[in-house]
Amino acid sequence: MDESTILETRDLNLWYGQNHALIDISIRIPKNRVTALIGPSGCGKSTLLRCFNRMNDLIDSSRITGEILFNGNGIHDSLADVYAIREKIGMVFQKPNPFQKSIYENVAYGPRIHGVREKKALDRIVEESLKSAALWDEVKDRLHEPALALSGGQQQRLCIARSLAVEPEVILMDEPCSALDPIATAKIEDLIIRLARNYTVVIVTHNMQQAARASDYTGFMYMGKLVEFDMTTKIFEDPGEELTENYITGRFG
Amino acid sequence: MKKEQAAPVPFPGFGRLRRSGTRIGLISAGAKRQLVDRIVGKLLLFVALFAIVTVFFIIVFLLRDGYQIVLETGAWNFLAGQDWNPAGQNPAYGVLPLIVGTVLVTALAMAIAVPLSIGTAVFTAEIAGPRTRSVVKPAVELLAGIPSVVYGFFGLILLTDWIRIAFDQPSGSSWLAGSILLAVMAIPTITSVAEDAISSVPREFREGSLALGATHWQTIKNVVVPRALPGISAAIILGMGRAIGETMAVLMVTGNAAVIPDPITDVFSPVRTLTGTLGIEMGEVAFGSTHYHALFGVAVVLLFITLAINSASRIVISRIQGPQGTARPTAHRALVAAASRIAHAVSAPFGGVVSPRTSQRCAFFLISLSVVIVLAALGMILFGIVVNGAGAISWEFLTGSPRDLGRAGGIFPAIVGTFYLVGGGLAIALPLGIATAVYLIEYTAETPLTRSIRAAVDLLNGTPSIVFGLFGFAFLVIFLNFGISLIAGQITLGLMILPTIIRTTEESLRSIPGSLREGSYALGATKWQTISRVVLPPALPGILTGAILSIGRAAGETAPIMFTAAIFSSRYLPSSLTEPVMALPYHLFVLTTSIPGASTQSYGTAFVLLLLVLAIYLAAILVRRRYNREKVM
Repeated sequence: MDESTILETRDLNLWYGQNHALIDISIRIPKNRVTALIGPSGCGKSTLLRCFNRMNDLIDSSRITGEILFNGNGIHDSLADVYAIREKIGMVFQKPNPFQKSIYENVAYGPRIHGVREKKALDRIVEESLKSAALWDEVKDRLHEPALALSGGQQQRLCIARSLAVEPEVILMDEPCSALDPIATAKIEDLIIRLARNYTVVIVTHNMQQAARASDYTGFMYMGKLVEFDMTTKIFEDPGEELTENYITGRFG
Repeated sequence: MKKEQAAPVPFPGFGRLRRSGTRIGLISAGAKRQLVDRIVGKLLLFVALFAIVTVFFIIVFLLRDGYQIVLETGAWNFLAGQDWNPAGQNPAYGVLPLIVGTVLVTALAMAIAVPLSIGTAVFTAEIAGPRTRSVVKPAVELLAGIPSVVYGFFGLILLTDWIRIAFDQPSGSSWLAGSILLAVMAIPTITSVAEDAISSVPREFREGSLALGATHWQTIKNVVVPRALPGISAAIILGMGRAIGETMAVLMVTGNAAVIPDPITDVFSPVRTLTGTLGIEMGEVAFGSTHYHALFGVAVVLLFITLAINSASRIVISRIQGPQGTARPTAHRALVAAASRIAHAVSAPFGGVVSPRTSQRCAFFLISLSVVIVLAALGMILFGIVVNGAGAISWEFLTGSPRDLGRAGGIFPAIVGTFYLVGGGLAIALPLGIATAVYLIEYTAETPLTRSIRAAVDLLNGTPSIVFGLFGFAFLVIFLNFGISLIAGQITLGLMILPTIIRTTEESLRSIPGSLREGSYALGATKWQTISRVVLPPALPGILTGAILSIGRAAGETAPIMFTAAIFSSRYLPSSLTEPVMALPYHLFVLTTSIPGASTQSYGTAFVLLLLVLAIYLAAILVRRRYNREKVM
């Protein structure tokens, strides 16, 4: 792997109370690529994802050791601004979570809290973001209707647009399609592949076909450990570990 | 300072979003936002501590005047003395008859209210169709909205009369009258909490039982109610707290003789409760006398009893629910076992012989009967007051000042005074309450501090309104030397509704899903940005509903204002905050109990007060309905 690295963990350990959820994780996430994290339920893949933008800060019992670097800077350094980190490393959640606002206000929320006030600038950001999220054509005539009136798949693309609106470098996706039907899922997968031209995407998924279709790199996690991390083609065609092979061939999990 | 200057360095060159000039002085944008966040957090903490301080002050001021009675008469003579006679030749200050009176009145009231309430709750949650429900539910809520002084008025004029005639007694003012009235007042509390508990039982449980061929009634009895039992227990305890703390209605109908009924089951005997004693005697007592201290001693006893009930309820609920809310430890099993034993005992006579279908028919008949009784009670009260009160309404009555001790003239100063009192109370309680709730829900994890704030809020919530009245008198009127004044009444009412506002705000903040907060944080929003822009706006209708409901409660309350703010008959409106004020509930109370020959005016005042409070409740219901419609969309 000679790609340039955007996110990196070194000997990362995490506990939720007594539960040792992540064990000695060292991973390098390549820039402008799609990286998938797969593994059985409870293996720690979502936990790892939430480490990258310090969402685990919100869980009181969590404790962390080791290092996480974003563009070479430690995100837990005393100098690091957690809000700026989350601005640069966006997140899309398992269930679509649009705010109880209009479609427009949902997308404009991020830029607004980061200080953009001019109407024109906001209009432009909203349009660009919705276009990038392949939602613009469906909603351009009803931007001021409530976001909750959209379908589940549209809501999820709106959430992607919302995270694009603050210009992140990385987008973390936590099983973004698990609440969606196959057609909406296909649209989101399409979108993920296109987003990788300009952004780094890290996606947690239960769906192995999805990982195979949409990602460039895949990490397999099991019981809090990163078992194997490599090119997706390598993982799926010629895995280095027996455990990985057993999992992707459906022998357990 | 080093940290603040250097903060942006690890992530230089933010894109087009970073406007130039976001640096203010030496503080970078990120550090500035964090600073705002920290300041807001500290401010909210400061406000939240107010609840603890209030509780502390209430206890200190009650004890300050109350402990002296123990010095003067001895603790045993005070608590176990069988004679309460402060005005006699040899004044006696034994509170035992008052404690017994309180216990008796409350116990009988609960015996009446619990079956009716649970029947009504089961009916609305399980049996009624949407149409019937949309009639029964608001009707029960309406019952909650009727001010206690209006209940007292109804009880004194009509209920005691019926009891006197129906049971051929010399006087209808009795234990029974007090208990019936308290039961009607406790029914809405028990019903609505129990109904919430029953409705929140997941549908799968019902379907699982029905799919096995159980009848609807078997499902309710064996699956739904056991599952909802913790909530139902909480409902009963809450209702009991409400009954024990009630002053005005009880005072007006129980006859107020400080005797222990002989025999103890004589429901036609007059009794006197702790609250009633305070309501009657506090207004006439000489400041600083032994009698004065004895009354504060009574208030302390009352506070202790309500405190004991509240902590009992919290222990019961936490035992039953367990730490995760899902665990079902032994306490819950024991409770379910006890409840099913009672159910079996009740249904035993016809259980074995009768087919499930017939027993369902019997059960549903009894349940419907309880609903009919509740609705009939509401109907009688409304009918009695509307029919007699509407005739008293005239232009002069609404816009004039009272003449001849309220026997003639109008009630305009009382209407305006009520608005002054309620408006002031709300202006005090709303900001404090919302800030406290935001702090409790959003800013802290469970720490000893938040636990004590919550405990203080619970304590305030369970404190009887008459105790607020005494505190307002001792602290505001006497200690701070405000005198009987508008401001003293506003502060007392504000403190009284504070816990309601905190609770409802907490409730509506909790209903905002955590995923919305995460969505906002993931965009780099600070805590305060997340709260003010993502969490509060959708929570607002719920907060508003809570505020309106507490307005309704404050408008109908008599006990907190009668020693702090209210005067009976005044031609004028107060021209400043330090003057006393007329108020509708107090006006009605005095007219009914002390002024002979003013029954038309009494009915008129009760009607206006009822109308006012019901209009406020109607507003709350409309707000909620509109909000629900938006949520569905």
